[in-house]
Amino acid sequence: MEKKLIQKFLICGIVLLLTVLFPLFSNNFTIRFGTDILMFAIMASAWNIIGGYTGYASFGNVVFFGIGGYITAVLMERTGMNFGFAYLAAGFGAALFAVLIGLPVLRLRGHYFAIATLGVAEAMKALVQNLQITEGNSGIYLPLLNFSIKAQYYFFFYIMLGTLVLTLVATYLMLNSKLGYSLIAIRENEEAANSVGINTTWSKTVAFALSGLFTGLAGSIYAYQQAFLKPGPAFSVETTVKMIVMAVFGGTGKLFGPLIGAFSIEMISETLSNYFLVAHTLFFGTVVILAILFAPKGLIDLITKRKFGLSYFLENIRQHRI
Amino acid sequence: MVILEGKNISKRFAGLLAVSKVDFHLKQGEILGLIGPNGAGKTTLVNVIAGVYTPSTGKVFFKEKQISGKHPYQIGRLGISRTFQVVKPFPGMTVKENAAVGAMYGAGGKTKSVKQALQKAEEILEFVGLADQMNKGADQLGVASRKRLEMAKALAMEPELVLFDEVMAGLNFGEIDQAVELIKKIRESGKSILIIEHVMRAIKNVCDRIFVLHHGEKIADGTVDDVLNNETVIKAYLGRRYKELTH
Amino acid sequence: MVLQILVNGILKGGLYALMAIGMSLIWGVMDIINIAHGAFIMLGAFTTYWLFTLFGMDPFVSLVFSMVILFVLGYGVQKIVINNVIRAGAFITLILAFGIDIFIKNLALVSWTADVRKVQVSYGAANFSLGNWVTIPTVRLLAFILVIVISLAFYFILNRTNLGRSIRATSQDLDAARLVGVDVARTYAITFGLGVGAAGAAGTLWSILFPISPMMGGELTLKSFVVVIIGGLGSMLGPIIGGLALGIAEAFGTDWFGSTYGNLISFTILVAVLIVRPKGFLGKAD
Repeated sequence: MEKKLIQKFLICGIVLLLTVLFPLFSNNFTIRFGTDILMFAIMASAWNIIGGYTGYASFGNVVFFGIGGYITAVLMERTGMNFGFAYLAAGFGAALFAVLIGLPVLRLRGHYFAIATLGVAEAMKALVQNLQITEGNSGIYLPLLNFSIKAQYYFFFYIMLGTLVLTLVATYLMLNSKLGYSLIAIRENEEAANSVGINTTWSKTVAFALSGLFTGLAGSIYAYQQAFLKPGPAFSVETTVKMIVMAVFGGTGKLFGPLIGAFSIEMISETLSNYFLVAHTLFFGTVVILAILFAPKGLIDLITKRKFGLSYFLENIRQHRI
Repeated sequence: MVILEGKNISKRFAGLLAVSKVDFHLKQGEILGLIGPNGAGKTTLVNVIAGVYTPSTGKVFFKEKQISGKHPYQIGRLGISRTFQVVKPFPGMTVKENAAVGAMYGAGGKTKSVKQALQKAEEILEFVGLADQMNKGADQLGVASRKRLEMAKALAMEPELVLFDEVMAGLNFGEIDQAVELIKKIRESGKSILIIEHVMRAIKNVCDRIFVLHHGEKIADGTVDDVLNNETVIKAYLGRRYKELTH
Repeated sequence: MVLQILVNGILKGGLYALMAIGMSLIWGVMDIINIAHGAFIMLGAFTTYWLFTLFGMDPFVSLVFSMVILFVLGYGVQKIVINNVIRAGAFITLILAFGIDIFIKNLALVSWTADVRKVQVSYGAANFSLGNWVTIPTVRLLAFILVIVISLAFYFILNRTNLGRSIRATSQDLDAARLVGVDVARTYAITFGLGVGAAGAAGTLWSILFPISPMMGGELTLKSFVVVIIGGLGSMLGPIIGGLALGIAEAFGTDWFGSTYGNLISFTILVAVLIVRPKGFLGKAD
């Protein structure tokens, strides 16, 4: 048992080291691409906390991304706050919003929860479009960094990486704590979880808050990086779709699943863009359909069970067809 | 000491009065049986005790403090555990983890770390006879084992009072006898038990007293012999043949 | 003035109801949230557009074509794709629907470009007035009548035909239905086809009233959610209530607060309904 754990730590360490060294050998475009992968990895992993482990599939997690971004924008642009504090405020604000909205909404189950969260995200987008303080639909500018261009690319890459590491470490600690067990219990059988002594409302709310926190941090970095924020992209339902697809594609309910999913999906997306300038999203949709049909448990299941044959895929269909 | 008491308990669901003005009490260390035809309100009553429902009238007292109106998780943490008639395991976890969750969050949970809870889980699984299946996925167990796991989850919470809801259903004679032995062991370890059952063989062997529900009302309450020979009970539930067969 | 706003709201509501009735059927029977719903509406709209542009077919005539073509498409999608994944859980099916949505939208984009199109019919702006109080656009009134007709047709199918009985049985208990001999795969396919066919009808009407483009679906899917939730699942008349509620709320909301608040109003209503009464007005408890 111990040897396996050491092995895992070693692999993580090596991957982390490679990632840290990565920007030193890449051009700006590639660094930016890497930063985007890290950003989606954060969001997919954060989604996994409430969606994968707790079993409450939120369809509105982008709301935390947008809130994080706008808190950062408004604080930095209107009050001259520095990024460090704005970043923290963004995370805290997003988590707070999660608690507020979670109390009524986490009482819903399944589909209804999904739609409610979707509604919250769309409502927030509409609200931001109408507020003065956020400059409505024209968009809000953020102050620029005082670094060289190359240094800026480095800066955002490493902040995003740091945030991802934070997200994954926090998730890992949570999973091995009582809270982690309570979340999985809630997912597996909420009524039993209640009767076994778990305060499910509390556990769910904490999970939702964590999910919101990390997503908000990602949004904060994104806003600063873009130096400009509009409600449409900040609260886009497509971002939610992407993070969910990545989490599922990589494997929900597993620590590194969403990260693998984010990496794979972005690589596939980018490769497709290069080959099929016009139709790459079309092929992307095809990939999603095929992946769900043949490998609904995600890539991690494929990798850990070491099955790559046709029979694995056909078996999935046989299990899941009507 | 009376550890559990229900006074004038009624539960109404829209048009249906599922439980009607039921009084009951359970002394510490006692095993109280609850029998009656299907639909009599037995599980509803247990649900009221466990906090799933708030009684429409009446109050439930545990160790002389009122518990009716509390949430199920609060009641669990106070020292009352229950099993479900249709077992509710956590399929995505191992048998050991299932029991450990009970240890983490039950009455004994405050002082336990995750590691200690897992330790406790092993002890409990040993106690109920599931130790050899500890690392299996909970969804891979057979019927008798599932019932055991349901009991293990309840016991891991370190309750003072356990509510068993038809834990014998679906077991063969050998398994029933084993379950009866287990229930006796549980009482010997200091716990009080309220047991809903249809399996008379078990009820006769394990209960100190029985009370009977019919159409939501209590129709009998007393020692095992008194109740099982009670004319009203025989008419409502046991049947003439039962009396003939067992005499 | 108030009367006019009310009438506008009712008529818009009728269109929303028509959009949502297909989604309600699919959701209520198969527990599938069809995220791709808006994409199918879009296909219905474009079917009408091309029939009009290439063959000069009147949109109301093309209504039949659009419904039939979309029925077949829906049937196919369910039979070939969704049926193979449906036991993996509601959530997986949802992602699949996303994939289908992306696929359809982008196929349309690649084939027809992102240009906004319009079906210009001579009677598009026709209206008639009731005295001095209200002006009623004719096409919207026809759309409203069509909603009632289709809703009644669905109600009739579900409650008075054998097919309807199979559908209801399957929705209540898949395995039990299979055991009594219902061909559940086919029943599901037909149900999805019907739902998508209704979407096609909505698309046709939309194309007469508004400009269309391959990306139009997203907003319509969201609006349909709101309608279905407000009206309640499991009832064929629910979407009408939901549609009317949304249409009227938007009409008055826009009048009081301005047009940019339209979405804020609809989605706040959605969340509020879910929190307070998830069943909606006519929904059946599950």
